[in-house]
Amino acid sequence: MVFQISHTTSYLYESGVTFCHNIATLKPKDMVGQKLLDYHLDISPTPSEISEKLDFFGNTVTRFSIQKYHNELKVTTNSIIERNFSLQPNIHDSVVGNTITLTQALLELKSYDEEILDVRQFTLESILIARITPEIKAYAEVSFKPNRPIFEAAFELMQRIYTEFEFDPEFTNVATPIHDVMKEKKGVCQDFAQIAIACVRSVGLPARYVSGYIETLPPPGKEKLIGADASHAWFSIYIPKFGWIDFDPTNNQIPKNQHITVAWGRDYYDVPPLKGVIYSTGKNKMKVAVDIRPATV
Amino acid sequence: MILDSNILFQNYFSDTKNYDEVLKSNMSINPNWENLLENINQIGLKELINKQSDVNWLMDENGVTYNVYNDPKGMHRSWNLNVVPFLIHESEWKTIEKGIIQRAEILNLVLKDIYGKRELIKKGVVPHEVIFAHRGFLRQCDQIQYKTSKNLLIHSADLSRGPDGRMWVVNDRTQAPSGMGYALENRNALNRAVPDIFKNINIHHSSSFFYNFNQMLIDAAPNNRNNPNIVILTPGPLNETYFEHSYLSSFLGYPLVTGNDLVVRNGKVWMKTLKELKQVDVILRRVDDIYMDPLELREDSYLGVAGLLDVVRNQNVAIVNPIGSGILENSGIIPFMNAISKYFLNEDLILPQIASWWCGQEKERHYVLSNLANFVVKRIDRSNRESLFFCEFLSTAQLEKLKNEILANPYHFVAQEKISFSTAPDFVNGRLEPRKMMCRTFAIAKKDTYHVMPGGLVRVAPERENLHVSNQRGGVSKDFWIITDHPQSSIQNYAWDNSCKISISNINDLPSNTAENLYWSGRYLGRAIVTARFIRMVLNQMSNSQFSVQKTESENLHFLFQSLTSITYTYPGFVGEENEEALKNPLKEILSVVMDEKRLGTLAQTLNSFNNSYYSLRNLWSKDMWRVFDGIQKIWGRFIDEKNYAPTDIIKLLDRIITRLIAFMGLIEESILVDQGLLLYFIGLQTEQAMMTISKCRSLLVFNLEEHLQYDILESLLTSHESLNIYRYSYRSYLSVENVINLILLDKDYPKSLTYQLKRIQKDIDRLPHSKNTAAITECQRLVNEANLKIESLNISKLIALNGDNTLRENLDNELSDLGDLLHEMSLSISDTYFNHTYQQTQLVNQNFPL
Repeated sequence: MVFQISHTTSYLYESGVTFCHNIATLKPKDMVGQKLLDYHLDISPTPSEISEKLDFFGNTVTRFSIQKYHNELKVTTNSIIERNFSLQPNIHDSVVGNTITLTQALLELKSYDEEILDVRQFTLESILIARITPEIKAYAEVSFKPNRPIFEAAFELMQRIYTEFEFDPEFTNVATPIHDVMKEKKGVCQDFAQIAIACVRSVGLPARYVSGYIETLPPPGKEKLIGADASHAWFSIYIPKFGWIDFDPTNNQIPKNQHITVAWGRDYYDVPPLKGVIYSTGKNKMKVAVDIRPATV
Repeated sequence: MILDSNILFQNYFSDTKNYDEVLKSNMSINPNWENLLENINQIGLKELINKQSDVNWLMDENGVTYNVYNDPKGMHRSWNLNVVPFLIHESEWKTIEKGIIQRAEILNLVLKDIYGKRELIKKGVVPHEVIFAHRGFLRQCDQIQYKTSKNLLIHSADLSRGPDGRMWVVNDRTQAPSGMGYALENRNALNRAVPDIFKNINIHHSSSFFYNFNQMLIDAAPNNRNNPNIVILTPGPLNETYFEHSYLSSFLGYPLVTGNDLVVRNGKVWMKTLKELKQVDVILRRVDDIYMDPLELREDSYLGVAGLLDVVRNQNVAIVNPIGSGILENSGIIPFMNAISKYFLNEDLILPQIASWWCGQEKERHYVLSNLANFVVKRIDRSNRESLFFCEFLSTAQLEKLKNEILANPYHFVAQEKISFSTAPDFVNGRLEPRKMMCRTFAIAKKDTYHVMPGGLVRVAPERENLHVSNQRGGVSKDFWIITDHPQSSIQNYAWDNSCKISISNINDLPSNTAENLYWSGRYLGRAIVTARFIRMVLNQMSNSQFSVQKTESENLHFLFQSLTSITYTYPGFVGEENEEALKNPLKEILSVVMDEKRLGTLAQTLNSFNNSYYSLRNLWSKDMWRVFDGIQKIWGRFIDEKNYAPTDIIKLLDRIITRLIAFMGLIEESILVDQGLLLYFIGLQTEQAMMTISKCRSLLVFNLEEHLQYDILESLLTSHESLNIYRYSYRSYLSVENVINLILLDKDYPKSLTYQLKRIQKDIDRLPHSKNTAAITECQRLVNEANLKIESLNISKLIALNGDNTLRENLDNELSDLGDLLHEMSLSISDTYFNHTYQQTQLVNQNFPL
């Protein structure tokens, strides 16, 4: 499956900006099952400095600064991606991945194996997923039981969040604490992912936040509108002796070809698509447009 | 010895039995202290009380302060230095010094490893969570390379003496340790106030330490090594140790800057100066890690510089200490320190530490939880009191709560054995009392090793039974002597070697922020003086009028009241529809114009603004200036406290304040060089005075008044302008509007005339630096030039001409109004041209996450 994705973020500044520094985490990953065939990043006005590097988690981040006065910042990425999830390890083919229990997994995580050491940071509290409450733990323990396979438990957790939480874009923003989301059981994909991560970590397992895109399909018989898509987020859990496996609690599914991964981290804080510091006196207005469609090659 | 310890140590141990530095339990005296005690004995306890107040006075006079947030004593609490020092003999100190150097080296290697290969974790020497769960572990700093010989350039440790008689390490300070400036000033003050206490005692001094400190800063420069540009980054005047930041800035001769003074462009850090951007090579920072770069670290920080971390990454600037070193302020490392020492150096730790158990380990956690009441529990990444639990004092419910917190995130907690540390004699209420003490030591990187300050900063608990030593809550400090049996050369004045000389800076290099503060100091000072004089004149008129029943008197007052409102811009005041209340009780309104800090335009508010801009310049101050500055605060404080608000009391207050403000003006001129920015102060002062002159003339000279009233008003104007004598001398005539305008506005030679003031502003503005890329003449030059041309073209007969209905001098009003507008535009243009950092830094996306 080959997709072309365009993602435009624009900021309109009420009183103009003289100078800005920004960091963008927008470049889709090139990894097993997801091949980045082409990628362009266009920034207007043209930055005076721009550089690309890998962050602590291995995501590609682009740093740029604009030194001339501007009223609008426009950041556009165009990517062509070949997605083939069948190349990724399949949990159903892995006996141990399918059956390892919570107790067994926790034991495995004590090893000093390099890979285990690397994933252990995803069991700890993080900036947006801190002070995990007994309520969250209790919610997690409905699914996670010592002798139950963690894959099964994680799958059930995803289903429960899908059915018990209401999708409500009005209720939250990027700064809504997980405790409010847990209490009201409302939110968007980012909140559901972070709630799931909090649950997984509360029982001592590694979970990370994945940001990316999802292809949405238009209602039958209608043409898909350009820009109708959006950034998406889901979570991933580490199953010892198997590896990371993604779950999308917003759509109640294990991501396949419709999901394209851009970056991962401990939570949203590690991978915001675009952040920055601007020198200005006024307010700003943001607009995001994402479009994903099968490539017309 | 002949020491009468019975007197000195009378009732010393009355309520506490403890390990004391001087007095042993068998009542014998530690021989190292004998000379000091002998000196104290000779001075005598009574005289020592005087000496202590001399020290207090000196600290106060020199403006040595420690800001305590939410302190009822206000922002600038005096630093407390006890007259009795603390001392250690060189023979013991040598071991401590070795231990400090070893510890600094170990922590340096830990720092390098944590942000590098992380072998300590891979090899199981340090548990993963001790690093990864610590909020000071900044992933953004991973794999950064440094050109300096050490990663950790400054190390500071808090030491206390344990029950075994050895000095123990209690804390490490590695981000931006404070205290070395206070330590230096403590020695200076004690030496000045109580020279006798040093008699027959040989003390190591710290001048070579500061020499090396300066050298370390120079050596840290990644580029431009012959002539590096070094700055000291402060969070600002509100920070608790701001005194020290400005002290070190004047002492080392490096500019004191805030985050706003710096900017990242083209991969480098620049300081905004009056002329242009100047590249910065080394930043000695007093800002904590997470506030250093709002782009990559804490987004809502205004204390740092956006984009800084990437400049560090590209080795175009050195930060001392490097960003990320906060990971070493980590009580979770303590249990593993000996293993780390073995791992890196194959040595045992020289300095003991408090026995500690990290709760992330199962066995240790179990041990801690089953004996919780016996421990002091800390979070590994917090050193504030709120995250410190003295379990013996906790109730069962509190213990249970703590237990649950530990169980939820065991890796966040460390439990430490509770230790009773030694006490040292402190001079309190005329006698010696034992107090818990703590020494802060300082080590700095010097080539392949560390250099340790001989001594450091000693702090003692504020109360007898207090377990806790801290400046935050207001404590007492002591001078810290390392004594030796060998004679030392007399205390040297600190002098730089020529190799350390850095380019002399001039006005072009003045940080814009400093320039702006100087400009506003001038403006506020000018406004304060004019306002105070005007109010004083009005009050004097009121007192006179009490003895007079003439109608003109009250009309006169009425007129003055209204002009007071318009000059100070404290509308509605005596002007406007609802002025009856104010006119019925004018004193109340005047008092408000004097005292109401919250009301714009009042004297109190102007003085406050002056204090603020002036306080942020304190690295430029002389001691005399501090004394006068402090004097104003005290007079003001007393006035508020005494609550006597009769006109004569207010006049007395104003007299005193005015005298000091004038003294201050004189001192500024002789204490600060034009190249240090005095020019900006002058421009501010003259501009404000010119604006006030305009507004006084507009409110007092424009209306055509009946003869008697006119005479009174002219006299009042001249009085408030301190020009009555000059007028009499110059004109020897009856007061006339024509002559007054000639003197106050048009006279070319009288320094208080508007013409003279405008000329002076023009001259000073012409001396300001020009950036290469601006036009031949700046906007502010153009504006002040226009103002000068305008005032030269004024014609007195036209100015005094009345309009059609004989009520107004409309020409005068229009001309003055135009001049006022020009000055206002000029002031804005100065801000735009020279203080261009006023742009607000904001986040692209609002995400205030606690980091």
